[in-house]
Amino acid sequence: MNEAVVETVALPAAAPNEGFAELYERTFPRVYAYVASLLRDRSAAEDVTAQAFERAYRKRRSYRAARGSMDAWVFGIARNAALDELRKRKRRAKLEGDPEDVYAPAPEDQADQALRRETVRLALASLSGQERDLIALKFAGGLSNGEIARVLRMSESNVGTRLHRTITRLREACHDAG
Amino acid sequence: MTQADVLTAIDDALDTGRAGEDDPLARELQELALTLRADSPEPAPAYSESLDRRVQQGFPRRSGSKPPWWRPLLQPAAAVLLIAVAVAAVGLLARGLSGSGDDAAGGSSGGVAVSGSGGAESGAQRGFAPGRSDRRIERSFALDLEAPVDRMQRIADQVAAVTNRHGGFVLSSSVSTGENSAGGDFDVRIPADEVRPALRDLAALADVRSQSQTGRDVTPEYVTARDRLRSARAERGSLLRRLEAAATDTEAEAIRRRLDVVAGEINGLRGRLHGLRLRTDYAVVTVSLLAKEGDQGGAGGGSFGDAMHDAGDILIGTAGIIVRVLAVVLPLGLIALLGWVVVRVLQRRRRESALV
Repeated sequence: MNEAVVETVALPAAAPNEGFAELYERTFPRVYAYVASLLRDRSAAEDVTAQAFERAYRKRRSYRAARGSMDAWVFGIARNAALDELRKRKRRAKLEGDPEDVYAPAPEDQADQALRRETVRLALASLSGQERDLIALKFAGGLSNGEIARVLRMSESNVGTRLHRTITRLREACHDAG
Repeated sequence: MTQADVLTAIDDALDTGRAGEDDPLARELQELALTLRADSPEPAPAYSESLDRRVQQGFPRRSGSKPPWWRPLLQPAAAVLLIAVAVAAVGLLARGLSGSGDDAAGGSSGGVAVSGSGGAESGAQRGFAPGRSDRRIERSFALDLEAPVDRMQRIADQVAAVTNRHGGFVLSSSVSTGENSAGGDFDVRIPADEVRPALRDLAALADVRSQSQTGRDVTPEYVTARDRLRSARAERGSLLRRLEAAATDTEAEAIRRRLDVVAGEINGLRGRLHGLRLRTDYAVVTVSLLAKEGDQGGAGGGSFGDAMHDAGDILIGTAGIIVRVLAVVLPLGLIALLGWVVVRVLQRRRRESALV
């Protein structure tokens, strides 16, 4: 399970390697979870996550704290890489299709938990790509609304409104699917 | 529950890891949030270890993996080129529509800031469609150039050279290089279609103290004279035919007298048309050479006042150069900025389209 760490990063603009290692340790599982939720392809998610961290490492001197937390910055890079991958591989059909093994149920899942997860996955599939992106940033990425606003380049209140609307729609879709 | 309450309840559940709200709706949403987070994909241990190693090594570059330095510049360069071409095309189109620079009022476009004299020019342009090729405009320009006395003769020679180079001729000239009465006047004629580059070259010879231009549309006069010439020629043809057919000497004598009158009219109209053509095919350019104020004609004369004056001139000259450079650099910079913004917006839209 991912920890939803959202505190502001105190790394300097020109982060040394150690600073980047801390950032990586803090964000790697969440970035991977976000990218995998978006791509629904374990292998592609691994490639894109690695690519995103490599880009972040090479561009780490261009990070400016005034433009948001470093977590949001890394997620922005990961999102761009994931969208490029989606577009490149024309995975739109995949997005709308059945989830892949990234969501394979854990063996220890109880039957009712497994059923609930399956219901949620089915409901997720009924959302639009942008709604799934928002859900992935919030729940897989563990970002705060402010950080999501930075990543999506919109206002925090707008993020709140969209999130509320999306989660409500998801709840309704769960009812329909259940 | 309000939107804020729902969002707070969700954040609480994510923070505490449990759904503790009493409200059934809030509790359901909290459970949904927890399920979503619990269902987040996790990286495989082998992959995590491999990426950890790469991070520790600082993402060593694979040989040949570095893209060429110019590749990131390709897209912005293409956008800038596209916008520059579009701007140039629009500029050319606009110029074509406004009379392809044929009108006398466009004097400042060639780098020489020739200011129109106003009344005659604006009045002359009224009533004629811009861009008409049969417009006949008399143009005259006056240029006052200021130069040191010791350069006067050289500049006078260059005025004649510039005039010849642009297919014109010097009608009259007078140059004086005496220290007290140094100066010169040139009355030159330059083909109308060469007058702008010629003025630009003339202005580059020395400092321009003042300039003016006038233009007068003589198309009505020209058209009237041409029509009257046609009529007179037609009448002459008719009279010649009548003369051949004249039955009596008296009748023939009367026709001959009329023919003399018509021939006189034809000669007069021909001369008038020729004069009008000459006046409109060639622009009248009057160049006055003036000795620079305070110039003693020798080098090295140097009071403090002279030095200050020279310094002022240098400053003004430098400022002029800066303004000209900015006039080029600023639009280019703006175009580049616009291109960059366009590329960014397109790139973002393309990316976002993957989610639609």
